Amino acid sequence: MTVVRTDEDRGLALCADAEGARHAVETALVEPLAAGRVVLVHAGVAIASLAGEVAP
Amino acid sequence: MKFVDEFRDAALGRAVAGEILSLVEPGRHYKVMEVCGGHTHSIYKYGVDDLLPANVELVHGPGCPVCVIPMGRVDDGIAIAKVPGVIFTCFGDMMRVPGSGGSLLDAKAAGADVRMVYSPLDALRIAKQNPDKQVVFFAIGFETTAPSTALTLKRARAEGVKNFSCICSHVTIVPPLRALLESPDLRLDGFIGPGHVSTVVGARPFEFIPDDYRKPVVVAGFEPLDILQAIAMILRQLAEGRCEVENQYKRVVPYEGNLRALEVLAEVFELRPHFEWRGLGFISHSGLKLSEAYADLDAELRFSVPGVRVADPKACQCGEVLKGVIKPWECKVFGTACTPERPIGTCMVSSEGACAAYYNFGRFAREREVV
Ligand code: SF4
Repeated sequence: MTVVRTDEDRGLALCADAEGARHAVETALVEPLAAGRVVLVHAGVAIASLAGEVAP
Repeated sequence: MKFVDEFRDAALGRAVAGEILSLVEPGRHYKVMEVCGGHTHSIYKYGVDDLLPANVELVHGPGCPVCVIPMGRVDDGIAIAKVPGVIFTCFGDMMRVPGSGGSLLDAKAAGADVRMVYSPLDALRIAKQNPDKQVVFFAIGFETTAPSTALTLKRARAEGVKNFSCICSHVTIVPPLRALLESPDLRLDGFIGPGHVSTVVGARPFEFIPDDYRKPVVVAGFEPLDILQAIAMILRQLAEGRCEVENQYKRVVPYEGNLRALEVLAEVFELRPHFEWRGLGFISHSGLKLSEAYADLDAELRFSVPGVRVADPKACQCGEVLKGVIKPWECKVFGTACTPERPIGTCMVSSEGACAAYYNFGRFAREREVV
């Protein structure tokens, strides 16, 4: 998913999946994140943040 | 997103398939296990096996989180779900896994409040919205999903949510692999390492496979080209007489894993002395339970559970499928008594299960092998 907006105080990010649907994702394991970053999400938690804009 | 198309490019796929052909010794039969159910799914979805020479056989491994849950654990979940005042939450696939007296879906039909969630965080949200109920989450999965459960429990603790608990059936990937390597019925030449689990644990934990058993491991991504390239890398190691852990999925998997995730896991969980796997029996130090510090959020301590071992149904051959000893269609009930709509065994329930993958995508491959 691609990060749309981060909410650092709550440890969350709004992310868009491949179809454009938005999800709130827990970011504690991959912070810091910025908009545009691609993350690998499992069960609501980002477990990897990918260098560059590539396909997970 | 960029590059997805490249990972599914048919011409590139054929080029890697040509490389694979150049690496195999005629007359030698190669057995490569894909550990992860996600790989099994991709292989049949994209027909990766159709691009391989006949003497390269893919064997499906035990890495499907739903498939390995034994009947007794499902019964434990159902016992809690039936307690009045409990909202029982789990992933969608778990609802259909048969226990000895039906599934969670059957329990729901009989009046239990069983709800599907996409994440344990959703379950915690339900708990906050229903302070007069006890909300229990059925936690399953390998090291890929365990961090999500761990973070949820940490949040529950930090926010003082008292009506939330978790029945923990998380498992770890290394012990079943060691058990498979020790089993005499299987002669494997190499392993396609699980990409998403490795995102968390890294590639290093698989070093025991080349070190102790002299077999190559290549951690791989989930696009068809990732899998083909990993097979080529394994065959190249074999051709050159090497065996080591290589990382084909470097764009996602750091060799050392996600250290923050590992820290959270170590804080919230501890290893059980034994855990029962469906079809594989008890494997030492292969399951997780909540650590002392989180014991108050452990549903197994909050509620009484039967905790009884229940033998798999006689017709079920999931154990052999999970060990890669038989192909799904060799099970006597495959596609007849056991289908995704009415599963007897777990491998037919999840889309990552080998039986479901064969049933949904693999009929042609089956016919080809039979002819
Ligand atoms: S066909 Fe059904 S019972 Fe047989 S191995 Fe597959 S899931 Fe298990």
